[in-house]
Amino acid sequence: MIYLQYAANGIILGGLYACIAVGFSLTWGVLNIINILHGAFIVLGCYITYFAHQLFGIHPFVSLPLAGLMVGILGYATQAGIINRVVGQSVLVTLTLTFGLDLIFNNALILGFTANYRQVVLANPLGTVEVAGIFIPLDRALAMVLALLLTFGLYIVLQMSRLGRAIVAVRFDREAASLMGVNVMRTYAITFAIGAFMAGAAGSLLSVVFPIAPITGHLFLSKAFVICVLGGIGSVPGAAIGGIALGLLESFSASIVGPELALTVAFVVLIALLAVRPQGIMGREDMH
Amino acid sequence: MADTLLEVSNLSTGYGDVQVLWDVGFDITRGETVCLVGSNGAGKSTLLRCLSGLIPATAGGFRFEGREMAGRSPQDIVAAGIAHVPEGRRLFGPMSVHDNLLLGAYLRHDKDGVRRDLDRVLSLFPILAQRRNQAAGTLSGGEQQMCAIARGMMNNPKLLMIDELSLGLAPQVVEMLSETIRAISKDGLSVLLVEQDAITAFELATRGVVLDSGRVRLIDATAKLAENPAVQEAYMGLA
Ligand SMILES: Nc1ncnc2c1ncn2[C@@H]1O[C@H](COP(=O)(O)OP(=O)(O)O)[C@@H](O)[C@H]1O
Ligand SMILES: [Mg+2]
Repeated sequence: MIYLQYAANGIILGGLYACIAVGFSLTWGVLNIINILHGAFIVLGCYITYFAHQLFGIHPFVSLPLAGLMVGILGYATQAGIINRVVGQSVLVTLTLTFGLDLIFNNALILGFTANYRQVVLANPLGTVEVAGIFIPLDRALAMVLALLLTFGLYIVLQMSRLGRAIVAVRFDREAASLMGVNVMRTYAITFAIGAFMAGAAGSLLSVVFPIAPITGHLFLSKAFVICVLGGIGSVPGAAIGGIALGLLESFSASIVGPELALTVAFVVLIALLAVRPQGIMGREDMH
Repeated sequence: MADTLLEVSNLSTGYGDVQVLWDVGFDITRGETVCLVGSNGAGKSTLLRCLSGLIPATAGGFRFEGREMAGRSPQDIVAAGIAHVPEGRRLFGPMSVHDNLLLGAYLRHDKDGVRRDLDRVLSLFPILAQRRNQAAGTLSGGEQQMCAIARGMMNNPKLLMIDELSLGLAPQVVEMLSETIRAISKDGLSVLLVEQDAITAFELATRGVVLDSGRVRLIDATAKLAENPAVQEAYMGLA
């Protein structure tokens, strides 16, 4: 029975992880940019939500659109103003750039918000329910549901909308896309902005689960990285499955070897998996 | 001339330091089908890439409906009514035929017009209607070429530029595509056709431009070109 509890914990965590990873995966898949800033974007989303809650008493799930939008706009400006200058160059160049931007961003976060940990303490927590012997913390479960809804929403946008078609077209063949009249650079900036929006929104949801500090950005980033490689780069369903896989892995390994080593175990499993299945669980399929 | 759709004058371009086209000049009248022949590496694709704004002109320019278009972005050129069916088709392989066709109409906001044109291209190429939800990358070579042409037509262009219509396709497929080109040009659409197979090209076009090492060698009615011994020897495989 305890294993069912671990599974439930893992799935709740995993839904949040899916949301963390999906924007990172999109940026990587479409722009071929490993966005080191992604963790900092998540943390910024956390802070926006934290202060909205602290100063104005706005519930984290209500300030989520605001956090997503603000971080999304910042993402658009970052891509259009800076990263578009080197887009299309080798991953090493873009990685170095986003790494440098992350250093600046992180220090700005520390200056602005200090390095201390903060935590959103909900005024009226929903508490925990017991279902067939499994305890489910309702606030976290709701955060997971919202995370999966956001992830699913992104999937629908990519599949069904004009913008989604342009993003997939640019990803597959940017020159052919521009022959259709797609503005490639703007599509890159919008794609990056969507990735940032998802990061900011994920930050809002995470703020009800984890204490936040600028340093936690790197933890989220490394999780996004693992999930992306597990699930397949640029794949929304892959990010969802990879996220839940990581959540389960962490939940079970935390119970066996302790929470401090959980992420280490996840990385070890990742390396082992890559040795056997270099294309990831889902294979390197497209967003289709 | 009032009826000139495209007017290319003294156009030069290349890639970096490598110049590929020198002083290219020709024009296309509204409703006319013009073919561009030349051996491999003559610069035909480069010319089309320059006309669709993918690479800039280094000198000279071109006017479309009287407006200077050199230096404009590919979006501006697509919006002005030039569609480019690129060499190798360049379909969006993982996307469905339907989505590929919709991307051809990416800049259009007239929903009714788009729906009408979708019906029209699907009736021109009935096989695409059957394959509508199939990934474009899984189509046969001939079907891919049909999809690429249909995608170009979804822009409702005034000029359709097709790079290597027949390359790698079976004769019956080429014959079928040729029929379609004839039908759409009868509807008033201008076509700039790039072909290595001069015999097919001359059948479809009224005038031809012969490109040789990046320069225009000859411009003439295709009937005349077909009788020209030098053209026969170089491009029609006749000695
Ligand atoms: N992307 C490129 N970079 C550099 N040179 C190129 C490029 N594409 C084509 N070329 C060169 O330009 C010349 C003309 O090529 P192209 O326009 O493709 O000829 P064609 O379509 O008539 O066969 C060739 O010498 C080719 O090597
Ligand atoms: Mg060519």
